[in-house]
Amino acid sequence: MEESKEILAEGNAAEGAASLKDLSTFVPEAHRKPGELGIAAITFLIGALGYYFALDMTSGEYSSPSVFPKLASTVIMLCSAVNFFRAVKREKPEATAPSLARFLFPGDVVVVLCFLVVYCIALPKLHFVVSSFAFLALGMIYLQRGKHIVRALLVSAASLAVLVAVFRYLFLVILP
Amino acid sequence: MAQNLQYFLIPFLQPEMMLLIWVGVFAGIWVGAIPGLSVTMAASLLISFTFSWDINSALALICGVFVGGVYGGAITAILINIPGAPAAIATAMDGYPLAQMGEAGKAIGLCTTVSVFASFVGIVVLAVAAPVIANFSLKFAPRDFFLLAVMGLLLIGSIGGGDPIKGITAGAVGVLLSMVGMDPSTGELRYTFGNLYLMAGISFVTAMIGLFGVSEALTQFRSSGMKSPKQNLDRIIPSWATFLKYLPLSLRSALLGVFIGALPGTGGDVAALLAYDQAKRSTKHPSRPFGKGALEGIIAPETANKGAIGGAFIPMLTLGIPGDAVTAIIIGALFIHGLKPGPMLMIETPHLFWMIVSCLSIASVALMVLGLISVKPFAKIIEIPKEIVMPVVIILSVIGTYAIQNSVVDIFYMIGFGIIGYFLRLYGYATGPMVLGLILGPMLDANYRRTMQGAENQILPFLQGFVTSPISLFLTLSIVFLLFSQTATYRRWRGLE
Repeated sequence: MEESKEILAEGNAAEGAASLKDLSTFVPEAHRKPGELGIAAITFLIGALGYYFALDMTSGEYSSPSVFPKLASTVIMLCSAVNFFRAVKREKPEATAPSLARFLFPGDVVVVLCFLVVYCIALPKLHFVVSSFAFLALGMIYLQRGKHIVRALLVSAASLAVLVAVFRYLFLVILP
Repeated sequence: MAQNLQYFLIPFLQPEMMLLIWVGVFAGIWVGAIPGLSVTMAASLLISFTFSWDINSALALICGVFVGGVYGGAITAILINIPGAPAAIATAMDGYPLAQMGEAGKAIGLCTTVSVFASFVGIVVLAVAAPVIANFSLKFAPRDFFLLAVMGLLLIGSIGGGDPIKGITAGAVGVLLSMVGMDPSTGELRYTFGNLYLMAGISFVTAMIGLFGVSEALTQFRSSGMKSPKQNLDRIIPSWATFLKYLPLSLRSALLGVFIGALPGTGGDVAALLAYDQAKRSTKHPSRPFGKGALEGIIAPETANKGAIGGAFIPMLTLGIPGDAVTAIIIGALFIHGLKPGPMLMIETPHLFWMIVSCLSIASVALMVLGLISVKPFAKIIEIPKEIVMPVVIILSVIGTYAIQNSVVDIFYMIGFGIIGYFLRLYGYATGPMVLGLILGPMLDANYRRTMQGAENQILPFLQGFVTSPISLFLTLSIVFLLFSQTATYRRWRGLE
């Protein structure tokens, strides 16, 4: 009985999760995802560059500082090659598959990333309280699609006040 | 014996010490729960508070923070998939899926119960066998630490997200990133490109916050209609049957934690990772598949990192060698208060040893009470709509990252790691192995090179060491066994498939 309840709960959770999936960026498991070859190529490049720059390090002995950088780079290149060829073997993306830009950056992700970058740039200039309030408020207003603006402003102010009180005054942490 | 009991009872008879321990545990739970704020940081802050205090009161507070802080790391790992500390990375693997299924209360309740049990295991071992374990841990050579790190790397198979090759790729990138900065043994600069900030290396806590926290937030924003799972808070405290069912695993992982914690330089993070791996390999019928909410995946790392608390005190109290960063700070506190940590500490000041044992015991009881009281409020956090929680999570990640060394550049690194983690997740590369590589890379590099230097850069003497030393031989055989245990032949034989 107990077990069947658990299975039911799991089923409901799985169903709930499925209903949340954004189908416009969904790619079936058997198909190659947009940019999958690209990411394998990028990791290969990281390995190759890692090895190239490790050539400048002291080497010649088995205990040289360059041993592990070269080893890690080689492992990256080998694994990336395997990942690349495995991706090549997978079924090509369907005509209806999302474009690379759509797959990587669905609407909300782009907006949040933009907020995040602006927040990071503003942080040293406007300091923590002002920039964080702006980030929280704008983020919440956008993610709630412009509804509950007053609630978003109040929640942002309240959560920021709690964060500052706890971190700055209780834990004596220096804020950015 | 009577004298020792008298020393043990000191904190029980002083209400002020009792209060400080409880306050310490409470503060520790919150400090530990916030990514970036570490127990080490809290302990070092407290040292400055306690300059003018009596040493007993200072130790009481620090012991409380230590126990609470190690526990707190699991809270955010379970609730929002952001480990509060590296020791809770493995906990997130199964804790977070449970929270997504509405079982956060059950997960935290179980975590609290087994944590208290493991904490007591560590304390008992500390009280009974400290000198023996301390002497044994000193026999570990750099080669053995290298082998321990290799064992840790094998965990990639467990946390690689179902694709070992992608897991190894991410792990190797982590190792490569851990090489950035000044080589500690020769001072040579590696991958710094003349950049001043890169000389200090890349903090794995910064990477962890980005790879787990920000990437989790970005991934959540891909889902439309972000509904938060409703939490079932009916059964928080696990039944006796559940506790007894998992007792062997809890005991095994706690003892592993005590031993790893007692090794100088290794702490709860390595212990938790190894225990998770061990549990995954040895559990025939987990409550759910590992990585999808297995209770064993919470019990093993959490008992190991709590066991490591008692373990970390063993070399500190018996030999004056810190078992981890927090005990290193406590050694500093002892010096400040005019004591000389070392082999004579237990002979000259036996009361200190028994008082620490007592403080840790009281802290464990406090953890049980405060931990269970906080389960419901903590679990409720996850029910707050994600469009409100996730921006706050990002701000918390920023505060935690900045707190590490008060550097805005670290925030940029953290965001960068968050974006990298987001891309990696999209293509099925798990982020855990990358953090694992960042943690274990320096341990691998330094100990391999020390061993090789000891063998005068000759391959044969280097390899001979692995079979001529009993500890190395045991660890080498363990690695061979671990590799063999991943083969289909072994899994079929053990009935794991």
